Amino acid sequence: MIECRNLHKSYRLGHGRREVLKGVNLTVSSGEKVGIIGRNGAGKTTLIKQIGGVELPNSGKVICRMSTSWPLGFNGAFQGSLTGYDNARFIARIYGYNYSDIQSFVEEFSELGGALRMPVKTYSSGMRARLAFALSLAIEFDCYLIDEVMLVGDADFQRKCRFELFEKRGDRAMVIVSHDMSTIREICGRVILLRDGLALEHETIEDTIEEYNRL
Amino acid sequence: MGHFSKGWGVQVRVLKALMLRELTTRFGRENIGFLWIMGEPLLFAILVGLVWRAMKGPFEFGVDIVVFVVSGYIPLVLFRSSFSRSIQAFTANSALLYHRQIKIIDILLVRFLLELIGHMMAYLFVALVLGALGIFPWPYDISFILLGWFYYSLFSFAICTVLAPLSETNEVFEKLAPVTTYLMVPFSGAFFMVSALKKDIQHIVLYSPPVHGMEMMRYGIFGPSIDPQFSYTYTIAVSLPFMALGLAMCRWIRRDLVVE
Repeated sequence: MIECRNLHKSYRLGHGRREVLKGVNLTVSSGEKVGIIGRNGAGKTTLIKQIGGVELPNSGKVICRMSTSWPLGFNGAFQGSLTGYDNARFIARIYGYNYSDIQSFVEEFSELGGALRMPVKTYSSGMRARLAFALSLAIEFDCYLIDEVMLVGDADFQRKCRFELFEKRGDRAMVIVSHDMSTIREICGRVILLRDGLALEHETIEDTIEEYNRL
Repeated sequence: MGHFSKGWGVQVRVLKALMLRELTTRFGRENIGFLWIMGEPLLFAILVGLVWRAMKGPFEFGVDIVVFVVSGYIPLVLFRSSFSRSIQAFTANSALLYHRQIKIIDILLVRFLLELIGHMMAYLFVALVLGALGIFPWPYDISFILLGWFYYSLFSFAICTVLAPLSETNEVFEKLAPVTTYLMVPFSGAFFMVSALKKDIQHIVLYSPPVHGMEMMRYGIFGPSIDPQFSYTYTIAVSLPFMALGLAMCRWIRRDLVVE
């Protein structure tokens, strides 16, 4: 279970501060798929960073009782000057996995071929998404945090992602940030709307999505 | 106990992974690769040693001048380079914070340990080469050399833990750091023996913690003839409070770190 209790997060902005999260409460039970929607700048990525422990809230608490992945997105989590293989080596080392297992999974899943020997900073965003997915799926977590990378890549890659995430790992919890309502409807059991720094949830998914559409 | 040993296992795993990563990003796998880690301190020590030899003749304070300069300069370069490596270390490594088992103090520790290993390797290398040439004396007591290194490093790392979070709060610190470390040079103990100074100046330089470590190292090399001046407690008594302050500041700054 993951529990966010009254999260507040603000960032320095010029001489003042801008408060992005103004007391967010959220509980994710094991196996639950929770979608997070909201307009640009509503704090979706900020929230997922607090859940993943990448940034710490100014006040409030995140209580994690299951292993949680790092937020899967375009940036972060990689060292741009290192090659794809070196990044995989590093991930294997810090999570205590056998490198050869990770290596073969990454090669097969990402289909990046020789590009894995190139520094990650030379990758396109599609290639980055492939590597990001490959690395985080190579490590088993109870909960995956997914920040908008779902819609990247070609149709074939999307199919692979869906298979690995929603079929093979259908029993895991997920927190998914997306602007694509059909993905949200298809996958998520609950939807949270971030608005004015607060998390809103209606009785049904459709009600929440409708409120989002009215914004 | 099981809990502790598991945590310790994770800690060791993380530090090892971070060190290998830092080595790869900094030195790459081209030409001599990881050996570059001792390249810079080695060049510094040898070249400055030769310059002093040319300027001041073969002896200083009754000992060989090259050995004197090398033994002082390598720890001094450690002192300076570990400071500059700790400036903005968190921002430079913010991608690492995506993994929750990595704490920001690990980032600092790894950077410092790599500097320490590199400089100690350079020190050993110079000692062996100069020793083979008959210039570097057989150390009087190796345990004092190691103890001196320990004191010197303890103080350097303690300062790093304060400097790193400070440099994140304000860019002014980043600009001031190089000149400050330069001004610290006379207080590093690298270029004098305390016993050769005037009594009132001795009194002043002994307020500087690294001087004690340096005197210990030199005592370990040259023996009692240099009349070393050091305290076993002073460096620790200064370093530990600094480190406690630094760790508290790291904890505090972690809350404000913005990760892309």
